[in-house]
Amino acid sequence: MRLGLPLALLGALAIAALPLVTTSNYIVGIGVSALVFTVAAAALNLTYGFTGLLSFAQLGFWGIGGYATALTVVTFGGNFWMGLVYAFVLNGVVALLVGFPILRTNRHAFVISTLTFALLVALIARDWVDLTRGPLGIPNLPAPQAFGITFDSTHKFYWVAWAFSVAMLAFLYALCSSRIGRTLIAIKQNEPLTRAQGISPMPYKLAAFSISAAITGAAGGVFAFYLRIIDTSFLDFYYMQTFLIIVIIGGPGSFWGVIASGIALSALPEALRFSADFRMIIYGVILVAAMFVMPTGVAGWLRDREIARVRKALQ
Amino acid sequence: MSAVLQVTDLRKAYAGVHALDGVSFDVEGGSITGLIGPNGSGKSTTIDCISGFQKLDSGKVVLAGKDITGGVSHLIARAGMMRTFQTVRVYEKLSLRDNLAVAAQQFDPASWVDEFFRSKRYRDAVAASEVRARQLVELIGLRKYYDIETGILSYGQKKLVALAAALMPHPRIVVLDEPVAGVNPSRIREIEVALQQLNQAGETFLIVEHNVEFITTLCHKVIVLDQGLKLAEGTAAEIHNDSRVLEAYLGTTPEIAEEEMRASA
Repeated sequence: MRLGLPLALLGALAIAALPLVTTSNYIVGIGVSALVFTVAAAALNLTYGFTGLLSFAQLGFWGIGGYATALTVVTFGGNFWMGLVYAFVLNGVVALLVGFPILRTNRHAFVISTLTFALLVALIARDWVDLTRGPLGIPNLPAPQAFGITFDSTHKFYWVAWAFSVAMLAFLYALCSSRIGRTLIAIKQNEPLTRAQGISPMPYKLAAFSISAAITGAAGGVFAFYLRIIDTSFLDFYYMQTFLIIVIIGGPGSFWGVIASGIALSALPEALRFSADFRMIIYGVILVAAMFVMPTGVAGWLRDREIARVRKALQ
Repeated sequence: MSAVLQVTDLRKAYAGVHALDGVSFDVEGGSITGLIGPNGSGKSTTIDCISGFQKLDSGKVVLAGKDITGGVSHLIARAGMMRTFQTVRVYEKLSLRDNLAVAAQQFDPASWVDEFFRSKRYRDAVAASEVRARQLVELIGLRKYYDIETGILSYGQKKLVALAAALMPHPRIVVLDEPVAGVNPSRIREIEVALQQLNQAGETFLIVEHNVEFITTLCHKVIVLDQGLKLAEGTAAEIHNDSRVLEAYLGTTPEIAEEEMRASA
């Protein structure tokens, strides 16, 4: 793995160069979505892939983050960067408060609770009109500024999304590849055994849930400022579904698998635009086929082949 | 020798049925103590209660002078009692190396801050854990599987992994829940030898097992449970000749029991 870090840096730089090689707003826009969705998916991977907690609350955190960032700028007179920090912290705290009780429930109750949370956030966004302006939304979000540059075009905003993604993914990578990440995998695989080894699962689960929420929230903030508007459609289930598909196809519990699938699956629906009428059907067929061939995702598939090879070598 | 584990008057009832009706025993430091009894006699309930995996109704459990009665499982583990499970539990998707490392990590002083900065404390802890893991892997004869996911191992090999994991943090006592149940007979002898070596190196074991042969060869002291009560306690030879034990354990007269035990051995 000596090559790992240079390779990752090289990859990150190559991705950063996208706005330089194309003048198309459309392609760079897909790039922004891919970056932000990959971060949100990687955050979901921390709870679902590593810790084994299927959380639909990510959608709620995404929305809270988007609104928190927008409101910081529009209503409370802060700037975009402060907004991201608030979104991060607010979501982390909300996740601790929500996670503390619901992580004690069983698996199914947990899933339902997180789903309910996401629906509640959507309801609040729609009905707390004084704060969120309800279905009217908050339009004309100003472009972020830093170092005297206003990131007011898609091409410029791309680098904001890029810097954010690289920072968040680096953090997640450090976390997932540490002893904490290994412990999360252990908890997912055999919780009673971790307890028998002196490990208390609850702080780990709560930390994973909260960190994941904070990152998802900040990602929502970035995406809202890319769209330049936030309204109730920001809490559409489409986003949750996108994050989940990225994780499931990439391979839950595999850091790099989810990154690769985040980029690939953000581009795929666009690559299918040659057939405007059928593209979503083709997309669906590809997803189902992928699940048939690789039920544990691309990373799981590669891993199974590796294990088969090792097993053979041992015989 | 002094008692590492003292269990006094343990009681546990499930919906009015007395699974444990006042069980007391000691485990001496450096010994191998066996806990046997027919199905439903309360063996599993006993170790689940002392290791914190079930709540006990009353009684007292003292580990190395510290009262751990009714404690939470992970805190009891940290106090120095490691256990295995009847249905083998390992982290199937982690390598043998990681299985052993996870088992020890809670017991070293390195925090995540130490890890982040790769401090000396962290490096020392990892190195010590690695040394211990290598020793144990050598002992259980699974060296060539060290970097491979434990999911590919056989049931018996996984039992050995679980045993090694339990030994990783140098616990005060290791509680083994049916270490040879479902294990290939040819491998039982290997486990016996491994346990004897570990015991000579100073490890203390409490073993719950159905295999009478295994228990009698290995244990310095055997405790017999029946219907939630301690029926007898003594050396393997004493237990072997105790007619009450034979009757309870095999549900038959001593003569026929002898016959059956010979046949099963």
